[in-house]
Amino acid sequence: MIYNLVQLIEKKASQFSEKDAFRCLDASISYGELHRKSSQLAQHLNAMGVQKGDRIGIYLNRCLETAPAVYGILKSGAAYVPLDPFAPAARTIAILEDCGIEILMTGKSHKKALAQITANSDQIKTLIGDIQGASIATVSWEDIFSCSLETYSPVRILEQDLAFILYTSGSTGVPKGIMHTHYSGLSLAKIAADTYDFGSDDIFGNPAPLHFDPSTFGYFVAPLVGATTVILPDAYLKLPVSLSALIAKENISVWYSVPLMLIQLLLSGTLEKHDFSALRWVLFAGEVFSTKHLRALMLIWPHTRFSNLYGPAELILCTYYHVKEPPVSDDPISIGTVWANTAYKILGRDNQEVVKGSTGELVVRSATRMHGYWNNVALTEQSFHRIKIAEGYEHIYYRTGDLVRENENGELLFLGRNDRQIKLRGYRVELDEVEAVLLRDAQVEEVAVVVVGMDNEAQELVAFIKRVADGDTFDTDSLIHWCATELPAYAIPKTVRLLDNFPRTSSGKIDRKAMAAMIELT
Amino acid sequence: MNIIEKIKAYIVQSISDITPDEIDADDDLLGSGIIDSMGMMKLVIFIEEELDIKIPDADMIVENFMTLQNINDYLLQRKDVDLKQD
Repeated sequence: MIYNLVQLIEKKASQFSEKDAFRCLDASISYGELHRKSSQLAQHLNAMGVQKGDRIGIYLNRCLETAPAVYGILKSGAAYVPLDPFAPAARTIAILEDCGIEILMTGKSHKKALAQITANSDQIKTLIGDIQGASIATVSWEDIFSCSLETYSPVRILEQDLAFILYTSGSTGVPKGIMHTHYSGLSLAKIAADTYDFGSDDIFGNPAPLHFDPSTFGYFVAPLVGATTVILPDAYLKLPVSLSALIAKENISVWYSVPLMLIQLLLSGTLEKHDFSALRWVLFAGEVFSTKHLRALMLIWPHTRFSNLYGPAELILCTYYHVKEPPVSDDPISIGTVWANTAYKILGRDNQEVVKGSTGELVVRSATRMHGYWNNVALTEQSFHRIKIAEGYEHIYYRTGDLVRENENGELLFLGRNDRQIKLRGYRVELDEVEAVLLRDAQVEEVAVVVVGMDNEAQELVAFIKRVADGDTFDTDSLIHWCATELPAYAIPKTVRLLDNFPRTSSGKIDRKAMAAMIELT
Repeated sequence: MNIIEKIKAYIVQSISDITPDEIDADDDLLGSGIIDSMGMMKLVIFIEEELDIKIPDADMIVENFMTLQNINDYLLQRKDVDLKQD
């Protein structure tokens, strides 16, 4: 029986040794090779002193090396922590220090960004990867992959061991680390494979970067069924004409991304030019798919099945909805209902279940639930809703913070966030965090950040600012520059508006709705 | 200044916060994070205005825009572009 993630590769290496496990353009790695290389990496890490429960960073863009990196770290007993290589250095350093990462897997594309990190922090002690001339100790892949495995003794890994930590923005301005175990990761793989009937003939397109939870499909679901994962490189994802050709050329049969990426493919005008007959599943999650675009896409790909998935990174995923026909109306499509091994409740403000059909917060109990937030017991407890079933036995539900309503067919309708965390083009943004950063600029007295725009694709952040009384000229460029050192690009407000007085609600709170309306009118 | 130098200068001035000597002709501009999708759009508009040409969507492919060298080669094979300007 499989009870941890490394067994996925062990098992498939004996069954499909020669078959491609991962491909990235002209480079590929077979299951047999991945099994051997990840063992070599694990052996090296253990020899360096890496022990069960340690955290190791992966600072790589979308490339083939991510596969042996993920499985090598897991085999060593450590947890992998994927870092966004395009994030500002200050944010990356905050994460490295928060979870005590001393070893980082990286590559030469990131040499310049890395130099900034090592110049400002001495947290990292060793780099692993094809990178030369770095200021700290570096081990090359070649050194690792040339080692003999004769004396290798694998670490025994249990299902409750930590597997990976995904960092996401936190409301206090400090990123929070979502801890997943081998059990939650493997549960995701098993449930997804059953729900969509994936098989070894499938070819998974993986557009998600490793630090984004949809990457679990390419890295764990595909290996569970012995399929091949095609890693789509960064440049292709930014040039939809090339992406469209690559999806066709690779005969991708399973696609999973945020709707925006599918919309860009659709708008590239190239979908009629290529043969997409292999594409049997298009899965999307992370934001609402505008029905207008979904309809157009379903008409272009009539042979493909479409499914809407939903789930915060704390659960990876939890509900699904098969879109059987191109939507007729412009009503938002349902997020469906919970999949296998998962239960839910809809709670009102009093923490009691609402009457059927009423709006409330979705709380979910699932095998895919995170273990908790790294180093933050209080936040973990706050996010759990515990129900005592019997003495010493309780059910733990995760509070999604999302408002939903159940329709007459028992399907869930997503109605938005019940707090100040929003989704912007698939990225989670804590408005409170953005405000906290802006407020630290000396020119700023008071700030309110609002989201404007009706279409998901056109939504953007606007910062309203009351400047300090004695300030003379306001320097917007320096403010944006400051944001760029503290926040990921998607969380930087596109527009800055100066206001002498903020509109207030009757209770004296900043009236953000009125502010958003001021922008919509102009 | 040749077109590559001009593009480099534009990237440094308007898109990225790195210095000119940090970009090599064969650096993966998008994959290394030197420019993002928004930056790519700005860059294309800059090239179009600078050379007074139109770059059709169909030409916006990896082979033409991944590196500075790619951009140079793409512009060279376009018959309507005169790169021998000063």
